Amino acid sequence: MAVYKRRYNSYTGSLTPAWSRFFVLTRFAFIDLFKSRFFVLLLILCIVPCLFSAGYIFVANNKTLQLMMQLRPDMDFFKVESQYFIFIMIGQAWAAFLLNCWVGPVLISGDLTNGALPLFLSRPFSRADYVLGKLAVLGLLLSAVTWVPCLLLFSLQSGLARNGWMWSHLWMVVPIVLCSAIWILTLSLLSLAVSAWVKLRIVATGVIFIAFFVPTGLGEMFNAIMGTRWGVLLDFSFLFRLIVERGFHERTGFLGRAFDEIPISAAWASLISVCFLSLVILNARLRARETVRG
Amino acid sequence: MTPTIELDGLEVKLGGRTILHGLTGVLKSRAIGLLGPNGAGKSTLINTLLGFHVPSKGSVHVLGLDSHTSGKALRSLVGYMPENDAFIAKMSGVRFVRYMAEISGLPSEQAMERAHEAFVYVGLGEARYRPVGTYSLGMKQLAKLAQAIAHGPKVLVLDEPTNGMDPPARKRLIELIREIREASDICLLLSSHLLRDVEETCDEVLILRNGQIASICNLVEERRANRKFLELETIGAETTFTAALEDIGCECAVFSSGRIKVVMPDSVEIREVFKVAADRGVQIRRMNHRRDSLEDIFLNAMEQSGVADGRL
Repeated sequence: MAVYKRRYNSYTGSLTPAWSRFFVLTRFAFIDLFKSRFFVLLLILCIVPCLFSAGYIFVANNKTLQLMMQLRPDMDFFKVESQYFIFIMIGQAWAAFLLNCWVGPVLISGDLTNGALPLFLSRPFSRADYVLGKLAVLGLLLSAVTWVPCLLLFSLQSGLARNGWMWSHLWMVVPIVLCSAIWILTLSLLSLAVSAWVKLRIVATGVIFIAFFVPTGLGEMFNAIMGTRWGVLLDFSFLFRLIVERGFHERTGFLGRAFDEIPISAAWASLISVCFLSLVILNARLRARETVRG
Repeated sequence: MTPTIELDGLEVKLGGRTILHGLTGVLKSRAIGLLGPNGAGKSTLINTLLGFHVPSKGSVHVLGLDSHTSGKALRSLVGYMPENDAFIAKMSGVRFVRYMAEISGLPSEQAMERAHEAFVYVGLGEARYRPVGTYSLGMKQLAKLAQAIAHGPKVLVLDEPTNGMDPPARKRLIELIREIREASDICLLLSSHLLRDVEETCDEVLILRNGQIASICNLVEERRANRKFLELETIGAETTFTAALEDIGCECAVFSSGRIKVVMPDSVEIREVFKVAADRGVQIRRMNHRRDSLEDIFLNAMEQSGVADGRL
């Protein structure tokens, strides 16, 4: 099909491995995302707190600087322990939520609006590949503002503190990665499900907020009426905090009595249920052809 | 030789209703037309062979590959141009085609090269950097064709390709489809309401009606048979003329006003008919090859399947 010949020729060259083709979606989505200045600004803003946290670690490990700031070393004002990472993780979880609200709604809706889905699925490309490709966009992006900076801060602290700090705190890597992973998965699948359902970005963003905050209100109502604390299972941010605090074996006091009353397994089950529900919605919506019953 | 499409008792149920009722047939030609009135099951058949619908009974094989059990392998051979809008509005045309080619497995550079080539080939070279959402309906059809051919498929599935196109654009698209068919060993499956589209591009036709096969017709053989059937209008000695034609092996039927229908054997050429007429002093005022047009075949199929109103 050379241009100068203007005739059709079939393709006889090499092909990429089938398993890697989902990443085409991710690559194209990233190219589109980075064309938006607002997105770049938002991404930078989401990473800025981590830079301040790095500064905090630097000061915490620099006695000379503390003296220059007229802080008494025995005050132990700068302390990099579990609580420090809990605060960072919770802060970055909210940053991830904002980023997800901006990026998530357009990922699938753009393909559904003008019926492009049959074009993907008429190729050697499954619905699972499609979801994986879109999920990888959010997975990579949200990782860049959650567990990756947390691990970098952990490494920085390990490097500066020395005296075996890293080995005595190495267990923290597990809650950092695991808690971030469930949070990223919940956010990503939820926003992909919304994106598959709602085509307009502004409406989809609104629906994500509703899906996040309305259950919290309903849970509070349930608690008030039934005199229980189980309603918090509908509060995703609460569940994340609970998982993080339990993961770090630390209590910040934000969670009140519910910290003791709600088992960690229930929190995990609740978040996994959201993921499962989102997958059910995606399965129902991502079809090459819709079947009208009746 | 592996048949292009092989239907083996194919039954498809959608939403509790049976859409395709046990289709059985073999289509061997390289260019197959799919005809039928609205709701006949054309699109359902295409969607089934692309693996979008799962057969409730039976199977459909394309180039020997089962649409259900070898779906991925089959789809790696297919280029699909859907009937409805199918594009990503904000992407430029060439990027859209490159995207689709990469998903089909072409490496990035080759996908880009083939996307440009496909765009130029379908005649959208000037518009390739414009967002697809800004294209006219005809341009969107061509962009859909470009994405269907960019990865060099072995089977090209075109669902109502000339929908919404004006006559010159339609003519250009039909020419392109014929060019593609002739320039390569690609197999073509074209579904259309327009009999002319099918007639101009296909060698074999599958006619569906109410989810059943009304007819499978090989157009090449029909055309060959039609070449031997003449309709004449003559002035002069009809009786001696027809007798002389019968002497050289033709079969004749004489009608009023000098109209004669002649079936020629393969050994007889038309100039022999002229020679016989000249010898007998008969004037041939009109001569037509009787053509059993696709419309005749279609209407015949509709009638044979017990349908009085064979409307499209």
